[in-house]
Amino acid sequence: MPAVDLSHIAKSFGPVKAVDDVSFSIEKGELFGLLGPNGAGKTTCLRVMLDIFKPESGSVAILGGPMNESKKDRIGYMPEERGLYQDIPLERCLTYLGSLKGLSPAEVKQRAAGYLERFDLTAHKTKKVKELSKGMQQKAQVIATLLYQPELLIVDEPFAGLDPVNTQMVMDLLREQHAQGVTIILCSHQMHQVEELCDRIVLIDHGKVMLYGALDDIRRQFSAHAVTVRTGDKIPALKGVERIEPVNGTVKLHLSPGTQPQEVLRSLVAQNINLEQFEISMPTLDEIFIRVVQGEGAAA
Amino acid sequence: MTKLWHVAWHEYRRHVFNRRFVLVGLLSVPLLVLVMVGLVFLIISLDINTTPLGYVDYSGLLADPLPAPAPEPPDRPVPILPFETEAAARSALDAGQIQAYYVLPADYLSIGWLSVVNMGALKSPARTQFYNFLTANLLRSTDPVIANRLVKGAEIIVQSPDGSRSISSKNWFNVMIPIVAGIAFIIAIFSTGGYLMQAVVEEKENRTMEVIITSVSPNQFMAGKIIGDTAIGLTQIFLWMLFIVIPILVLRNSMSFLRGIQIAPQTLLLVVFVMLPAFILVSALMAAIGATISEAREGQQMVGIISLPIWIPYMLIGLLIGNPNSPVAVGLSLFPLTAPLTLLLRDGMTILPAWQIALSAVIQVLCAVGAIWLAGRAFRLGMLRYGKRLKWREVFARN
Repeated sequence: MPAVDLSHIAKSFGPVKAVDDVSFSIEKGELFGLLGPNGAGKTTCLRVMLDIFKPESGSVAILGGPMNESKKDRIGYMPEERGLYQDIPLERCLTYLGSLKGLSPAEVKQRAAGYLERFDLTAHKTKKVKELSKGMQQKAQVIATLLYQPELLIVDEPFAGLDPVNTQMVMDLLREQHAQGVTIILCSHQMHQVEELCDRIVLIDHGKVMLYGALDDIRRQFSAHAVTVRTGDKIPALKGVERIEPVNGTVKLHLSPGTQPQEVLRSLVAQNINLEQFEISMPTLDEIFIRVVQGEGAAA
Repeated sequence: MTKLWHVAWHEYRRHVFNRRFVLVGLLSVPLLVLVMVGLVFLIISLDINTTPLGYVDYSGLLADPLPAPAPEPPDRPVPILPFETEAAARSALDAGQIQAYYVLPADYLSIGWLSVVNMGALKSPARTQFYNFLTANLLRSTDPVIANRLVKGAEIIVQSPDGSRSISSKNWFNVMIPIVAGIAFIIAIFSTGGYLMQAVVEEKENRTMEVIITSVSPNQFMAGKIIGDTAIGLTQIFLWMLFIVIPILVLRNSMSFLRGIQIAPQTLLLVVFVMLPAFILVSALMAAIGATISEAREGQQMVGIISLPIWIPYMLIGLLIGNPNSPVAVGLSLFPLTAPLTLLLRDGMTILPAWQIALSAVIQVLCAVGAIWLAGRAFRLGMLRYGKRLKWREVFARN
């Protein structure tokens, strides 16, 4: 049974179709990437998922059925626009948000202590939230989301505003949660992090699903007919290679139609080329994203 | 259900344990009352002049005078000095030793008039003390009890036909209690309703809303906020009452009019069954406004639409006091937003029929429930409208 299942959902705001016939499902324990450019409809998808918006058509099943009040205690949501009470101390803010998820003040205090220590916020817990820096508020929001140990964690742009150290810390935290069996939906357009963390993704653009599936499959689908070679030797003209392109210390060999990479490898070995690296050229998620968004990719 | 109480407690704690609430919410009205009372005392004290009064008695009625009766506080005794001749009295007046002198002619008892000589206007408290002195001496051969009654004058008690209410010069202040209570309630309603509206707008502005509504249902959230807001208002009123009751208890022994103060059970009924639902009604409307707007200042015009009908009874105070049972007064007593003040104003002047109180209370409660529903709906539709105002026709639309 999937942790989240969206089936043909559509949602409009006036004349604008924010989400149009979107379907995807997320398995239990999966770390799933929800990608798309700004204004693509990602956040609307999340809000429909969380029953903040009612879809005009389609159905949503979350944690085994329609959303209800008791399920809210099992879901952690960190929205893109951070929301903490600014004029109260951080500790009190966490206690209140925890109480709305059914935690007692003592439980919040106990659970928050570890996270505050880890994120270097212990000394700031009695300060008003508005007195914290943007990065600190960001970390506080992460703590507020993880505090009640949700089964399903939905994080919208969790790395926005974080320095590299804290970005790494949040990434480690997401990995830990994933290892503990928490289902995670990572909504972002920071492809590098998504590539590192997620096994499967859905890419939405203009409210429609453009790509959906395992990341490796998608990359393979978008791979150019080329191989990347790293060598100290000069590469001669090879049969089946149309063009040789130097790329950042490597060489990209563009193959002619019908040529298999193994044939090129055999040719290189036959000509005594010392190979340091030989791999099928796979596009990065960034490249795929740009190609899809610029209209090269077909809808899934 | 417990989440509702967490929201209510958070709302209460956030506003009540706040320096602004203590300074503005709590101290503003008592300070205003204090300033007003201070002004009254200042005006009274300006009237009090304890420079002696003089008299020249040609009638012989004050040859061996009884002392003047002690005046009621805050008035202070004015020494009353005899002079043998008008010239001596005049010299004392010119020297500033006395503020005025009276001359009783030899035939005072038959003609009944006397003259007074003074430099400036003779203030009422001094004049009253001299007349009381004169009356006490004229009645010296009368039974002291009767003499005392005559000096005190008539005590007219106006009583309702059923005997449940009465008013006299000793407890005139009771007429003012419902009016003062009404003003206090309205100030409390608007100040706490303002907190609520601001809180909802802030939660939209700082995006807390999106986190909250994935934890608690919009209806529970809104109901919790309204409960918290009502509790803030009641705290405010309770503390204002303390500020008023404590000085009354302290001063009642020295000020006779304070001894007659009592709150009629009917006034308490009005407070519980009409003012409280009115409080919730206004709070819910404020919350609904907060949910439809994107910035606090946008709400001020909308607040005006609510506050206008609430203050209408004060604009019509002459009509309501002059004819408290007129059709207009009854109509205003039943209309949701005008009812609270109209009923309290009328309560000071007449015996309100039980059916009017009951019907008004039912209307208030129904409207309060409707307003909570409206607030919940406006909240659901408007909570994620950042920077864009929700139109009221969208709130009332079927979907």
